[in-house]
Amino acid sequence: MDGIHDLGGKHGFGPIEVTQTEKPFNSEWEAREWGLSQCVDVPGVTIDWWRHCRELIMPEDYLLRPYLDSWAQTDLATFVDAGVISRSEALSGELEFVNEQLPPPVITTEQAIEADRKAAHRFDHTIEAEPRYQFGQTITTKLNAPEGHTRLPQYARGRKGTIHAYHGVHVFPDLSSRGIITHQHLYSVMFTATELWPEDNNTDHHIFLDLWESYLN
Amino acid sequence: MAKFDSDKTAKLHQELHSHLPSESALRVKALESLLVKKGLVDPRTIDAWIEAYSEEIGPKRGARIIARSWLDSDFRQRLLTDASAAIDEMGFLGNATAHLKVVENTRSTHNLVVCTLCSCYPFSILGVAPAWYKAAAYRSRAVRDPRGVLSEFGVNLESDCQINVWDSTAELRYLVIPERPAGTENFDEDELTGIVTRNSMIGTDRDLSSVRKGDI
Repeated sequence: MDGIHDLGGKHGFGPIEVTQTEKPFNSEWEAREWGLSQCVDVPGVTIDWWRHCRELIMPEDYLLRPYLDSWAQTDLATFVDAGVISRSEALSGELEFVNEQLPPPVITTEQAIEADRKAAHRFDHTIEAEPRYQFGQTITTKLNAPEGHTRLPQYARGRKGTIHAYHGVHVFPDLSSRGIITHQHLYSVMFTATELWPEDNNTDHHIFLDLWESYLN
Repeated sequence: MAKFDSDKTAKLHQELHSHLPSESALRVKALESLLVKKGLVDPRTIDAWIEAYSEEIGPKRGARIIARSWLDSDFRQRLLTDASAAIDEMGFLGNATAHLKVVENTRSTHNLVVCTLCSCYPFSILGVAPAWYKAAAYRSRAVRDPRGVLSEFGVNLESDCQINVWDSTAELRYLVIPERPAGTENFDEDELTGIVTRNSMIGTDRDLSSVRKGDI
């Protein structure tokens, strides 16, 4: 999706606010949203669908609203999509119907720490097909993005890169964002800054992206 | 069950734009209140998660991983081979770190981590990402002008120092191993843990020699 979320290489966002505090939460509402998003469970949601719901936030909201505020809106959108919360409940905040499933049990901090340990979800798998590309091989990335969720950023499309490493077989996000779980070979691909931004000055660095096989030619 | 309906979701975002209160605090309060009324969440569970990420789950874990990698070459090797398995030994495997990769800084190489497409971050070892990491300025510029970004963080690299930027486009997460500063030869693991800054593990800090013990 050629959306507002695809920020790599864009100009005009100014200097970075490097003097922010080191505290995990800068306000009470940020803490509430963080805690909330760790414990809610939307049936059938995939991480890629969740990310896509965030990408679909209106551009002005995406850019202007604080990060965890956009998480709250994304959580809400996934609940509505799953039919757990109705559209009018989301808009009004007023209860229309009560959820049929039992509320999740209350947990302690120690149990939250343990639950976080168990949240180490793996995305790798095995498939029959051999990886098409080898270490050191030159590839060219695809030129266009599909309309839905994808993980090939605009700045690295239609560019030449070098296979730097092979990561095995991982869930393919473009389809996982639509609830379809398939797997593809995943590679670390190295790009030179001069390949990505040939007219920029002082671009002697390298950029590494993790890219699925169907993003490459 | 999720229906994966992009069009309806885009429309809902438009409606939320005009219906929800403009203040973030009120929006989050409204969401929590609705979820509580629906019986989907209990505020005490939210409290527990906040507490977990306020103290235990945070950059102190990452710092301990770095300190151990400086002291124990076998551990460092395991970290380079399979970082997720290595941090599991320490009980630090968790949210977003099942496919962890470590990248080492050297005198001639500097590593910088970003997620240009969202804000992917190794939560179980670094905790909640700092605001600048999630901001458009960092996400847009880290891949294109890393030297400029680093100088804003006070990191001025030698001109011959190679910069590698890691854009977290898949489920892999990256952890930078900064160089162990000179003068710390007699430090134990706790003392070394105390000098590793959060930013040095993302790559926006480099020279740890001036960090006082317990600064993190």
